[in-house]
Amino acid sequence: MHPLLLLFLILIPFVSGIAIYLLRLKTHAALSCAAMGVTVLTSALCWIALLRGTEGTFEVIRFAPNLVLLLRLDGLGRFFVGIVSTLWPLTILYAHSYMAHEKHLRMFYGFFTAAYGATLGVALAGNLFTMYCFYELLTLTTVPLVIQPMTKEAIRAARTYFLFSIGGAAFAFAAMMFLIANGASEPFTMGGVLDAHPYGNDNVTYLFWLFGFLGFGVKAAIFPLHYWLPKASVAPTPVTALLHAVAVVKAGAFAVIRLTYYCYGTAVMAGTWAQTVALLLAAFTIVYGSSVSVKETHFKRRLAYSTVANLSYILFGAMLMTPAGLAAALLHMAAHACIKILSFFCAGAVLHRTGRTSIFALDGLGRRMPVTFGGFTLSAFALMGLPPFSGFVSKWYLLRAAAETGGIAYVGAGALLLSALLTAIYMLSPVRRAWFPDRDADLVSLESVHEADSAMLVPMALLAAGTLLCGVFAGPILSAAQAIASGL
Amino acid sequence: MLYGLLLFPMGMAFVVWLVGRSNQRARNLLAALTTVAEFGLTVWIALAPDLSAGIDGVAGLGIHLETDGFRRVYLVVIAFLWMMTTLLGNEYFSHYKTCNRYYFFNLMTLGATIGVFVSADLFTALIFFEIMSFTSYPWVIQEEMEAAIRAANTYLAVAVIGGLAALMGLFLLWHTLGTTTISALYDAAKTVDNKAVLYVAGGCVLFGFGAKAGMFPLHIWLPKAHPVAPAPASALLSGLLTKSGVFGVLVLTCRVFYADPAWGTVILVLGTVTMVLGALLALFSIDLKRTLACSSVSQIGFILVGIGMMGLLGESGALAARGTLLHMLNHSLFKLVLFMAAGVVYQNLHALDLNDIRGFGRKKPLLLLPFLFGALGIGGFPLFNGYVSKTLLHESIVEGVAHLAAHGGNAFGLRAVEWLFLLSGGITVAYMTKLFVALFIERHPTRQAEFDQKRPYMNGVSTFALVASALVLPALGLSADWTMNGIADIGTGFMRAGALAHPVQYLAWSNLKGGLLSIAIGFALYFGIVRTVLMQKQNGAAVYVNRWPKRLDLEELLYRPLLTKWLPGILGSIAALFGENRITGLLAKGVLRGGMGIAALFGKNRITAPLAKGALRGGMIAAHGLSDLLDAWILLLRKTVYRDCRPEPENTAMKSLPYRFGSLLDRIAIRHGREEQGGRRFAETAYRTRRTLRTTSRQITGNLSFALLMLVLAICAVFVYTLFMR
Repeated sequence: MHPLLLLFLILIPFVSGIAIYLLRLKTHAALSCAAMGVTVLTSALCWIALLRGTEGTFEVIRFAPNLVLLLRLDGLGRFFVGIVSTLWPLTILYAHSYMAHEKHLRMFYGFFTAAYGATLGVALAGNLFTMYCFYELLTLTTVPLVIQPMTKEAIRAARTYFLFSIGGAAFAFAAMMFLIANGASEPFTMGGVLDAHPYGNDNVTYLFWLFGFLGFGVKAAIFPLHYWLPKASVAPTPVTALLHAVAVVKAGAFAVIRLTYYCYGTAVMAGTWAQTVALLLAAFTIVYGSSVSVKETHFKRRLAYSTVANLSYILFGAMLMTPAGLAAALLHMAAHACIKILSFFCAGAVLHRTGRTSIFALDGLGRRMPVTFGGFTLSAFALMGLPPFSGFVSKWYLLRAAAETGGIAYVGAGALLLSALLTAIYMLSPVRRAWFPDRDADLVSLESVHEADSAMLVPMALLAAGTLLCGVFAGPILSAAQAIASGL
Repeated sequence: MLYGLLLFPMGMAFVVWLVGRSNQRARNLLAALTTVAEFGLTVWIALAPDLSAGIDGVAGLGIHLETDGFRRVYLVVIAFLWMMTTLLGNEYFSHYKTCNRYYFFNLMTLGATIGVFVSADLFTALIFFEIMSFTSYPWVIQEEMEAAIRAANTYLAVAVIGGLAALMGLFLLWHTLGTTTISALYDAAKTVDNKAVLYVAGGCVLFGFGAKAGMFPLHIWLPKAHPVAPAPASALLSGLLTKSGVFGVLVLTCRVFYADPAWGTVILVLGTVTMVLGALLALFSIDLKRTLACSSVSQIGFILVGIGMMGLLGESGALAARGTLLHMLNHSLFKLVLFMAAGVVYQNLHALDLNDIRGFGRKKPLLLLPFLFGALGIGGFPLFNGYVSKTLLHESIVEGVAHLAAHGGNAFGLRAVEWLFLLSGGITVAYMTKLFVALFIERHPTRQAEFDQKRPYMNGVSTFALVASALVLPALGLSADWTMNGIADIGTGFMRAGALAHPVQYLAWSNLKGGLLSIAIGFALYFGIVRTVLMQKQNGAAVYVNRWPKRLDLEELLYRPLLTKWLPGILGSIAALFGENRITGLLAKGVLRGGMGIAALFGKNRITAPLAKGALRGGMIAAHGLSDLLDAWILLLRKTVYRDCRPEPENTAMKSLPYRFGSLLDRIAIRHGREEQGGRRFAETAYRTRRTLRTTSRQITGNLSFALLMLVLAICAVFVYTLFMR
């Protein structure tokens, strides 16, 4: 296929998203159908591009000799596009039912579609400059989504999100400028584009890489830059599910991988103090996110803290800077995307049907909403890393990569194991309450609660099937991840 | 074929569940037929030659299954127990409301348990082990009473933590040995020089599987979970699920740590403690099912002693291997009978306290006989199956003593184990006598007539299940020389034990001596302790009392506080420390304290003290000044560059370009005959829009972030300049 297709992949959802916002469509049905149409079209095009492949790169515009807006579909991008393009239509379908009685729908559907374009932009970017531009665009298009409920809390959360993202981007900007200033402005190349000792003092290189890691790490919610993520769980569930568990946060992890493996290069960075700092931060975030999650009693915020921990699994795997580590990180990226979006959908269905947000208010809901809680139970098992679900396979390979690296990586392996125990605690307690209520729980008020409707159940069922299949038949995903990690 | 063995019950679980939603009788029939068919299938597989199957790449490392002698024996046992309990469940569950769930999870667990025993590598075993743990959880919580929820939580916690520990250990094993295939573990472990990692890995796996087996100190869940589960499930939990844990310990001992005396000693010590402690707990308990559950702990201890002896004796551990295998098998069978009998009691009386159920068994020979057989079997009476396996285990300890003496070692420890073994056997006899006397000989002080008239107390299917299971025990015991020896011959290949030096004469005096000694100790304990210390006169009648101190509960003393208070407390305080941005606060405090400390250091010197104090104060002022400086800077900006503009006078707005354009549009509109609607609309709109824009832009530009934005733009400009225009 001609690489021009890549530009269309980005422009179609982005422009249509803005158009949906500006066109002043009145009814919910019209808005949701428009968004659905655009999303499905884009996803179909994405899969055509994925299956047929595109040759070469597409140069959109050349600002200056070494500032080029460049699009390209390589292995890593393909992986991310695959995840995103599968999950986006499912989320829109879920939103069709979930958002039916909400306000500010134009804002929601418009920017939700536009964010798709921005995310694809991050995935399809051919060099760091392009990725940086789309990364910023993603921030801008997702701020209105956080602010969408228009409550004081939402506005505050959006402000925090915006400030953290912009602040992070400034650091990432520094890392990018360091690269460009040292004459490395070529397209992404596996193994890096930097010479071994580009700058007289290597420590400067490491420092700038660390700037980039932390800057892009803001979106991947690395400690101590994670505050925005739990706060942003005030946004409507489709947003928290897709953006704050998959698209935005994984774009952060994706950008870190690009920066490390494709720009600075693992040959330059592996074994340095900067890598140690990154590994320790990731290991700490894993334990931190999981333990706060255990203490948190707000259902969606608990899942958000769990996301904080799980994103650091990905970062930890990637920061091992070995092919095995990268493959494991990618595997966990795919597995966690499926699992977490499923658990958020379940939490959202509960919120939608009952308005309950606290863990303690879930008693006995399993009987009333069996499919929803069946899905949640499955996601809990998968997230705990119980064999044979998908979370297990990825954690196994993460541990394996850590053990191969040895040394400081054992700290992370310990963090992974401790976190697995904490995950079991925080995921199983809602499960237990839902299916086996306490004796003194109020079950009478549940009489009026009904199962969520089919537009919400279908995505959940598909995701549950995906979670199961990803675990049992992990082979193809694993070999894809390994192929990417070995430089294809 | 092997897949069919696993998938058939798991698939039928769904069918049974669906059928059960509409028709309960059909569901019961279908479930019973499924287990009967499964039993037939396992018998067929047991008679067939060894099988193996596998799919690579599934769930990461692939699923591999195989059968050999040991597994074939155990497959039949599993399917037999399942069939019998499902038949009994037909009547037992007839008063339950939510038993559809039970049937579903019952069949799922059947598939998973079979999966554990046919797995060819530890990884596959762990997958099925985890599935089994989770599908058996609804058994424990089935009653949904306070005690059941608490017990189920404990069960779940032990299962999860044990599973994770096993997973970690398995990972380490795999990392060290490069394989988890059971048949390849021995060769791989032989070549490892650094045993330390292997011991850590083995310890983790032992933790996971030992927890399921009920090994001390992880036995806490067992005396709680087994009594609250429905009786058919208790029989399976006690009889089979614990054995899946033992299976893991066996693999470790016979493959990874083959003939490793250090490992053998650890297992032997843990086994001995489990054996004695479980027996004591059972002796003190006054609840029928709790006694049986504690007895399971004790019997697992016997099995672990056998495994420990295998570790110590290595190749010459044939007696221990045979004893271990046969005691596993026998324990499954007696616990089946005893728990089913307890189930019959419970379905009639809905009580399990010995004081409430005493005398229920009088004049009920079909209940008495099975219970008696079970009691005689577990008590190790000659001519019953338990006697055979206990004799073998005892002989293996004696052999170990002789072995040590021959090599000049100190056999004192092993002698102590031997005496504790005989003592535990005695306690077993004592608590089984206690149960038997209470149920079948004593009379209930008030309700005896009502008990005697309870007919029918079980239906035909249940009677069949109970009596048929019970008859197996003496049948095996009487034909020990060919049935049990034959089973041992088939099964012990798995344990890498050598051939038996000489056949054991079970009824020779030297072997009978140990068994009879145990029985004598048992009766002495019964009359000496149970009838005196553990009973009390109340209102003229002797009642059973529980003298076990309530506070001596490992779970309440250690595990629950550890998991629910200490661990979250520590992690929570770490989280709180970092969570609310306290780092900077702490840092500031630290700096301040440090400064104070330095000042204090110099405090005694007249010249330096004022200097240090002055420096500190200066620093603090500087810090304050810095934080105030930002505010001052903003204030300055707002007063000067970003000064708030005054509102514009109205007339200038009238002259502005948008207003004029609006007026023009209005005029056109009027000319086209729309004056009746009241003119000047375009002009007003344009004016308002312009004013909004102005206000907004003023608000934005008067803001600090605008300044920052400008700064960023400026930096960008500098960058672009330095990059391209240099």
